[in-house]
Amino acid sequence: MKLALPRLGNIYVVGETLITDMGHELIETPLNSKKTMDLGVKYSPEYCCLPLKIALGNFIEVLDIGAEGLIMAGGWGPCRFGYYAQVQRDVLLDMGYDFQMIIMELPRSSNIKMLWDNINLLRNRKRWSYMLKKFKFAWQQILLTEELENKVLQVRPREKEKGGASRILLESLKKIKYAKDIESLVQIRKDALRKFEEITIFNKKNIIKVALVGEFYVSLEPFVNHHLEEKLGYLGVEVVRKNSVKAWMEPIMRLNIFKESFKEEKDIEQAAYKYLSHSVGGEGQTTVGNVVLAHQEELDGAIQVVPFTCMPEIVAETILKKVSEDLDFPTLTLTYDEQTGEEGLNTRIEAFIDLLRMRRRKGVKVS
Amino acid sequence: MENKKKKIGIPYALYFYEYYPLWKDFFNRLGADVILSGPTNKKILDLGIRSALSEVCLPVKIFYGHVLSLSERVDYILIPRMVCVDKGAFFCPKIIGLPDMVKSSLDYLCPQICPVIDVRQPYSTWKNSLLQVGQLITDNSIEISQAFSVSWENFQRNYFKNILFSNNSSGKISQKNVQNRKKTIKGNEIPVNIAVLGHDYLIDDSYINLDLINKLKKMNVNVLTPDMVHPGIIKKQLKKLYKPIFWSLSRKVVGAGFYYFEKKIEGIIHLTSFECGEDSMVGELIHHQSQKHPGVAYTEFVFDEHTGEAGINTRIEAFLDMIRRKKRYEISFASPR
Repeated sequence: MKLALPRLGNIYVVGETLITDMGHELIETPLNSKKTMDLGVKYSPEYCCLPLKIALGNFIEVLDIGAEGLIMAGGWGPCRFGYYAQVQRDVLLDMGYDFQMIIMELPRSSNIKMLWDNINLLRNRKRWSYMLKKFKFAWQQILLTEELENKVLQVRPREKEKGGASRILLESLKKIKYAKDIESLVQIRKDALRKFEEITIFNKKNIIKVALVGEFYVSLEPFVNHHLEEKLGYLGVEVVRKNSVKAWMEPIMRLNIFKESFKEEKDIEQAAYKYLSHSVGGEGQTTVGNVVLAHQEELDGAIQVVPFTCMPEIVAETILKKVSEDLDFPTLTLTYDEQTGEEGLNTRIEAFIDLLRMRRRKGVKVS
Repeated sequence: MENKKKKIGIPYALYFYEYYPLWKDFFNRLGADVILSGPTNKKILDLGIRSALSEVCLPVKIFYGHVLSLSERVDYILIPRMVCVDKGAFFCPKIIGLPDMVKSSLDYLCPQICPVIDVRQPYSTWKNSLLQVGQLITDNSIEISQAFSVSWENFQRNYFKNILFSNNSSGKISQKNVQNRKKTIKGNEIPVNIAVLGHDYLIDDSYINLDLINKLKKMNVNVLTPDMVHPGIIKKQLKKLYKPIFWSLSRKVVGAGFYYFEKKIEGIIHLTSFECGEDSMVGELIHHQSQKHPGVAYTEFVFDEHTGEAGINTRIEAFLDMIRRKKRYEISFASPR
């Protein structure tokens, strides 16, 4: 079957392992572009949040080049994300496409049958042990990708030549995508880390550290956040990314396929408790918790990215005002929609970074 | 001094349109005074808009306004954290986070009572949460549990009757105009059945919806709302969905909407508020359904703090004209044999 995935940052590398190796054909989703956005915006409900629109754009593009099955994640609320697949399916059916929506989500009584069918469809009559092996390998790919991405965030403000770190990451990603075994992943990691070392200036001073928090999709997809991480990197800012696929997948890991600790999640909840004592779905509570943690880790500030009308993040944004006041910790909220202008964004980021530098010069905070 | 009655303020907004009778009954039985912030008005709206973040949706801004208008008059303000009242469904994230949002954006508030209602957890069911709240008023635990059981029973029994500013008590689609249509062929006076869908806090708040319901009634419209559809029917209608909806408040809207489509009522108006996350998804479901029923006229009104009255009037008139013209045509030319 010809299958396709929506784009989500660099995590797209797992497509090769999860689809091609299972005997399906992977229809490569075109990189997110203006066209993706335009298509998505044109056919989505007007007040939906941006991730739905972009993913819908992805789907239209892949259906046009021959995809038959669309793989999408689901959920059970209260964030709207859980209902994306249903609305997208409705819209695409209305447009006259013929396809199958393969929704992967946590099991509930109403969807067990569907989920079982979907998993069997993906399994494609291969052995269960084979599928499990591939899933584990994909998980390793995700972990390595995120490790390298985080490394790039550290290297970028310190690199000798602008763009060096991004280039190394791009090369490694290509290799990760087509890697077949753990040994080659280890090799890729070693190579990449060595190359990063070569281009780093180690004794660079006065580097501002900023936490990147907020909605999952917007913070991980560079096209949507207008390459925020790169922009900050070139301004001499080290970005500490707080969202990761690793953390997002952890609830699913509780099914005991993969053993990971949940300590981090507990810490974040604990940190947020004083301001937001109950999960509000999405990343609402995580955002608040991460900002409190960023303050404890003595970072200089935090940037929250929000897709316009996002429910959990609006709760978080309201509360962050208070957190920021209480802790004397600068935060900046950037709201993205399909019309976010590049220059306005640059101005706001630069002003925020100037403010952080000023605070540091005055010795308000030394980290 | 001990005997002084405690005053408890209830902001009349959001979920209180549904749950206010329960809380009022419960507190009254314990001997506390319940003060209800009146219907929304200009002052309340302005207070809310000034103190809330601009990106927050209109109903929450209005909730802020109600809280502020109560703050100086009462001892406690009741802001329950409604998480889950039936399994598999939640309230919207802003409602779940409401007590924290209010706390962090409003200064100088009187103490708040924020019980958690989450029926999935044994310690936060309706019963346990209310019993806990009761301890603020009196120490007599027998009295509290009696008050709870009586008020809970009343609430369950009167669920349909006591929805406060509810507009119409009849629960049936009127068949009269179908039978008498030859007689009523007098220009604009043809009565029509129109269902108004939306959350209770939009339909019942005549300030937000610019008195839409009364306007419709004046134009000889029989207005039907989601409250008039029996929960059993709603449950049955929801089975049509590909995936169950996980928002309690929207379940009613969608189920009732699907029912009215099935009944081939003449027109359906869906009220939504700007920035409402649930409505953006649910609106699409209802819109999708409307395309399967081309005989039912469908429109969507979005309300925000600037909604101009003239604009709404024009849209209502146009919508009704369209339905009536169609009806007149059917009566004159396509009479059944």
